[in-house]
Amino acid sequence: MPQDLTAAGCEFPSSVSTHDDSPSIGATAAPFDPHGLSGEQLVAMFRTMVVQRTLENRGFQLNRQGKIPFASASEGHEAVQAGAAMAFQRGKDILVPYYRDLGLDLGIGLTPYEVLLSLFARDADHSSGRQFPHHYASRRLGLQTISSVIAAQLPHAVGAAYALKYRKETGRAVLVTFGDGATSEGEWHESLNFAAVHALPIVFLCENNEWAISTPLSKQTAQPDLHKRAAGYGMPGVVVDGMDPMACYAAVKAALERARSGGGPTLVEAKCYRFLSHTTDDDDRTYRSREEVERRRLDDPVPCFEARLIAAGVLSSEEAEALKRSVLEEANEATDRAEAMAYPSPQDLYGNVYADGWQPWR
Amino acid sequence: MAKTDTEASTFERHGLSDEQLRGIFRNMLLQRQLDNRGFQLNRQGKVPFALGSEGHEALQAGAAMAFQRGRDILAPYYRDLGLALGIGLTPYEILLSIFARAADHNGGRQFPNHYSSKAAGLMSFSSILAAHLPHAVGAAFALKYRGEAGRAVLATCGDGTTSEGEWHESMNFAAIHKLPFVMLVENNEWAISTPLSKQMAQPEIWKRAEGYGMPGRRFNGFDPIDTYAAVKEALDRARSGGGPSIVEGTCYRYLAHSTDDNDMTYRSREEVLEHRKLDPVPRFEHVLLENGVMTEADVAALRADVLRETNEATDAAEAMPYPEPGELYTHVYEGAWQPWQ
Repeated sequence: MPQDLTAAGCEFPSSVSTHDDSPSIGATAAPFDPHGLSGEQLVAMFRTMVVQRTLENRGFQLNRQGKIPFASASEGHEAVQAGAAMAFQRGKDILVPYYRDLGLDLGIGLTPYEVLLSLFARDADHSSGRQFPHHYASRRLGLQTISSVIAAQLPHAVGAAYALKYRKETGRAVLVTFGDGATSEGEWHESLNFAAVHALPIVFLCENNEWAISTPLSKQTAQPDLHKRAAGYGMPGVVVDGMDPMACYAAVKAALERARSGGGPTLVEAKCYRFLSHTTDDDDRTYRSREEVERRRLDDPVPCFEARLIAAGVLSSEEAEALKRSVLEEANEATDRAEAMAYPSPQDLYGNVYADGWQPWR
Repeated sequence: MAKTDTEASTFERHGLSDEQLRGIFRNMLLQRQLDNRGFQLNRQGKVPFALGSEGHEALQAGAAMAFQRGRDILAPYYRDLGLALGIGLTPYEILLSIFARAADHNGGRQFPNHYSSKAAGLMSFSSILAAHLPHAVGAAFALKYRGEAGRAVLATCGDGTTSEGEWHESMNFAAIHKLPFVMLVENNEWAISTPLSKQMAQPEIWKRAEGYGMPGRRFNGFDPIDTYAAVKEALDRARSGGGPSIVEGTCYRYLAHSTDDNDMTYRSREEVLEHRKLDPVPRFEHVLLENGVMTEADVAALRADVLRETNEATDAAEAMPYPEPGELYTHVYEGAWQPWQ
């Protein structure tokens, strides 16, 4: 059944506010600036955003149907992830994401089928169904496998960047992402400091959606402008409107170019918002108001970008509708195909755990 | 790196009396003397280990002067001999610790130079860099939780510690909860053999404060009065509900890290000698003489007194017994339970 992804109330992009009372960072005032992207690339970004929205929603549906154990939410992150993915160089850069990066993973080349194999925990999945849902990995794409532990991926990411530098591989960089909650972790601090001391080819992208499960930004830190921590490490800090995919593309591209050319690390903070609960196991009605969420929905990046593309003549509304239908068809087809695949066999429990196929019961 | 100005015309007391200034100088001399005594005893084979704190005398004496005995809590690190003395520990207590005698505050069980004193408000700590900071902000949280105004926690650390994850988590926590907490960073440019340039890309540590949403400032750690003013401002802010801050004192570590370290393997003698020109002890002596706070005779008498006190304390502590082997499990488990019974 086709879904209407247009949020009520969004016509032309409204101003994006970062807190209940803080001034907007002026998304409305910004002119339509594709930052050098062609019409085709803009539509591709939009498509990634729609696929992300569709697949995320599909994950929740499958969970509520009892078909998969768990799914994590990423609504509100579509712009930052599509924009960052557009700046990522496939086959050269390395991505170390976190568990909310469905759009980034899709944007660098993961297919809906691969995503669903992971959610369904099938044997044909990249991790043979052994990884936690939304913890993708793809050697082919340069997508490093992660755990759920917040900020655990940061030391790994700087390690990968250190390897690039050690091997003198220019033209390559690591893009590591995380939420606002991760910036309170000790590993976050140690990683940024290490990257700065060694001038590593890495970009730290903070997807600040103002909520770490149920902890609001105001209880997470006394400095809500997280990019301001960059100066303390001796690296540049940049803030960008996380609801504008083109601005995110530009910011991440500049940072990745700096990293690839030996200019060292950058901290990019994209201000966005998490519209849904943390995951299918969370109920955000217990800790935040519906009014707050509804108000922030006015800046929903998916319908807002659609409206801007149509207004700029990049896409017609018929083409947009056709795109959404095509995405839904692809999602349905991938769902059916993945669901039909086999689970891993119990005999394979120790596969890829020990070297040389050794199994403990022998 | 740290520049000092010994011109008498710029002498600013920040409200300190002559007696307090002499007290600061005495503390500095005592720290220097006891620090040296620890090395001597180790080289004589009488104590297993000692840590050097030469270069930190002004910073620690000035900070101690701002500390309120009986009210504030000190969460120091292992190089804070002068701070421990400054808040009321005696040379005898210091030497009992170095000699690992049973009469020591920790029964001779703590690592050398790891003091504690409930009476003085000095929290016991381990050698692990930054491990004491979550404890320190926890103590500050307790003060806030109990609604105890007029009290604060003064925590110290070196430049190396600021790279630790626990440092970051503690600073962030203190700032969110607006705790009565002061982070005093004693930046002596060396973390054992790691120079500041390899420790961080931004050598001015106080600049991290804005990233946590709290005030930060830097001061000359070779000047005890500048130190006193900066630490007092931060502690006053903390005690009155104004929240935490980071204050960074620049100084230098003249000796090796400890009696187990040889700094000749990683830094030049020229660098050390160059920094010796800024040695805070003779520098402050000069300031006091130039401004008539002390005479040459006063200084000589003071030095003799400090040496005498150190010698008496050394002899008294050395004569005390070691803990009994039978006491091995005392204060380890609750009650009188001992594992072999």
